[in-house]
Amino acid sequence: MIDELPWWRAMVGTKDMASCRQVGRLLQSYLDGEVDDLTARRVARHLDLCRRCGLEASTYAEVKKALARRGTPVPGDAHERLLRFAEQLMDTPPGQSAENESV
Amino acid sequence: MQGSVCRVASDMEDRLSERTVRDRQTYTSCVLPEIEVLLRVASSMTDQRSDAEDLVQDTLLRAWRSIDTFDGRHPRAWLLTILRNAQVNRHRRRRPQLLDDPDLAADRGVGDAQDSAEDVVVGRTFDVVIDAALSALPTTFRQVVLLVDVDGLTYAEAAEVLGVPEGTVMSRLHRARKRIRDRLAAADLAPRRRRP
Repeated sequence: MIDELPWWRAMVGTKDMASCRQVGRLLQSYLDGEVDDLTARRVARHLDLCRRCGLEASTYAEVKKALARRGTPVPGDAHERLLRFAEQLMDTPPGQSAENESV
Repeated sequence: MQGSVCRVASDMEDRLSERTVRDRQTYTSCVLPEIEVLLRVASSMTDQRSDAEDLVQDTLLRAWRSIDTFDGRHPRAWLLTILRNAQVNRHRRRRPQLLDDPDLAADRGVGDAQDSAEDVVVGRTFDVVIDAALSALPTTFRQVVLLVDVDGLTYAEAAEVLGVPEGTVMSRLHRARKRIRDRLAAADLAPRRRRP
């Protein structure tokens, strides 16, 4: 059981669990889903056990969430205009569409 | 003789119309569904909404012109590359030379809003501090944060848009988030940095 491991095992790391130093390096990529499955499992095991790294992970996760909230919906009218533009483009063969550049 | 010329001409017409139909199908299935993402990304790359729309329009036109060279795989990556090239051309028209390495400039804090303790203290809510921290980032850092965290692109997709290696995206993004995190810590909204 990972919960029964002493805290220093987490710091140093094991074959199945990343060390604090490794987590410090990998944490953001891990939260972005940009590490391989094995690395993700090693980081996740560490975060289960190490409170300090867990706190750090929560902070970055909150930062990511707050940034994602800033995403404003794409204005529907702009989307509509571009869709119409793209559909009109298809009425002209690709080679001749240079004439449409000013559209 | 005349009959065979007509047959050749008619075959060519058939092939042309087949190609056009195929091009339309590819464009409809691969390009049109990406307009929303393109618009988001363009908004992160430009300051004005009208510029973003123009940039996407330019991208759509370029995509249609070169649709016959597209192999149908990874349409988003293909479109993001086109968008980046369109953006570079527009930028070049406006500003002919870039004299500085943007990452070095970012490290020196050149040309962008600087951190100000007052800014942090004024609004002590999480989102307000995040907004202030984001505005204070150098443009190269802010763009990566917007592309990945706000627009939801992967590192590889952001690298396509910016025309830089994936490692550069990762490095800018991580450094940018550390700065944001440090501002949160300065406002007592995050734990202080634990170790050097």
